[in-house]
Amino acid sequence: MERAEIHELSAAYALDALDASELEAFEDHLARCAECRENAASFQAVASELAYEAEAPAPPQALRERILADARREQPKVVSLPRRRWAFPVAATAAVAAGCAAVGLAFWAADLSQQLDEQRDAAHLSEEAVAALAQADTRRIPLDGANGVLVVDDETGKGWLVVLGLEEAPSAKAYEAWVIEGDAAVPAGLFSGGGVSTVVELGAPVPEGAVVAVTVEEAGGVRQPTQQPVFISGEAA
Amino acid sequence: MARGLAHLSDEALVALVARADEEAFAELYDRFGRVAYGLALRVVRDPALAEDAVQEGFLAVWRSAARFVAERAKASTWILTLIHRRAVDLVRREQPRRAEPLELAPHPTGDDTEEEAWLRLRRTRVQEALRRLPDKQREALELAYFGGFTQSELADRLGEPLGTIKSRMFSGLASLREVLAQGELEEEGWREPRSTS
Repeated sequence: MERAEIHELSAAYALDALDASELEAFEDHLARCAECRENAASFQAVASELAYEAEAPAPPQALRERILADARREQPKVVSLPRRRWAFPVAATAAVAAGCAAVGLAFWAADLSQQLDEQRDAAHLSEEAVAALAQADTRRIPLDGANGVLVVDDETGKGWLVVLGLEEAPSAKAYEAWVIEGDAAVPAGLFSGGGVSTVVELGAPVPEGAVVAVTVEEAGGVRQPTQQPVFISGEAA
Repeated sequence: MARGLAHLSDEALVALVARADEEAFAELYDRFGRVAYGLALRVVRDPALAEDAVQEGFLAVWRSAARFVAERAKASTWILTLIHRRAVDLVRREQPRRAEPLELAPHPTGDDTEEEAWLRLRRTRVQEALRRLPDKQREALELAYFGGFTQSELADRLGEPLGTIKSRMFSGLASLREVLAQGELEEEGWREPRSTS
């Protein structure tokens, strides 16, 4: 398809008027073209206003029950961490990924590493975090329940959380990071989230086999976690 | 426990849904279920199929909420886009030869709630905006969005070159965006009411 021509497709995309192969080609293009992403987003906002033009009779109550029951059935699996004390519900990332693929909204599911690269270019990350991300001997461990990674420098045990699109903590609350090893949870810093990206340099080393979890706590922080984690890393093994 | 989610923004609810919060999901359904069903019904023109589209669309919301990026779109846009996509997929699969839009029988409106009044207001607003577009642009938008036709099907149906259809959709959405933006300026203070009870 011609370059100039493909730019025009953001309107048809927003109206869902592309056939399967056109859609695939355009989503490929969207991943690379910031201008088209912006156009498509703006047109989708307008197109969704059209939804309100339809007569809207009340849907059957049974439909509500069915949808809520389906969601309940898909409740994320409970992941048991090293000791029984830490049994956390985490978002079923496989289901999330499957859902995204199913609806074909590559636009919203842009690849995390690409986003990280964009962020880096935009100088949103601290120099230290950029250095950590760039180092060959750091490991990136994906987070469950948030769009981001735990970065660990194996040599020093130093860790960073890099999270995209983390909602701001509620007022009088803060996110608190924990390094969890066996039965012990060590507080590793408070942060507030919000903004495009959140980078947290962890205040405690991340040993092999530990996981990093984040809970929402009182703004001043607490000595031990009192809440279920909002997100958690895989094991730093 | 009643947490009173009514004061939360749509975007905050999606963030809770991303953490598998069922109550927040129910609240989102209560906010958008009706307009979603109306949209699906208009596209698929069959109540059972419309329910399928709404069900699949909301499950996509449940499963992919973690990927929603509030900086890129309003939650309402995201949700209605998911519903519309499902409805269009269904109608393309189930009704390869679509007929003219079917007139729905008027529904008894026993519960003339505030919410319904709100939806009527928004419908009027969009209808007025559409009325201000050139006929051909309006026709292209409506056939694409509500008819579920692809741009190529539209070109065939209207006997126009594909390029013409593309630019009609493009200028149609651009003008609609402009008209709606003007409307918002004129009706200053136009805000979505939030239930405070």
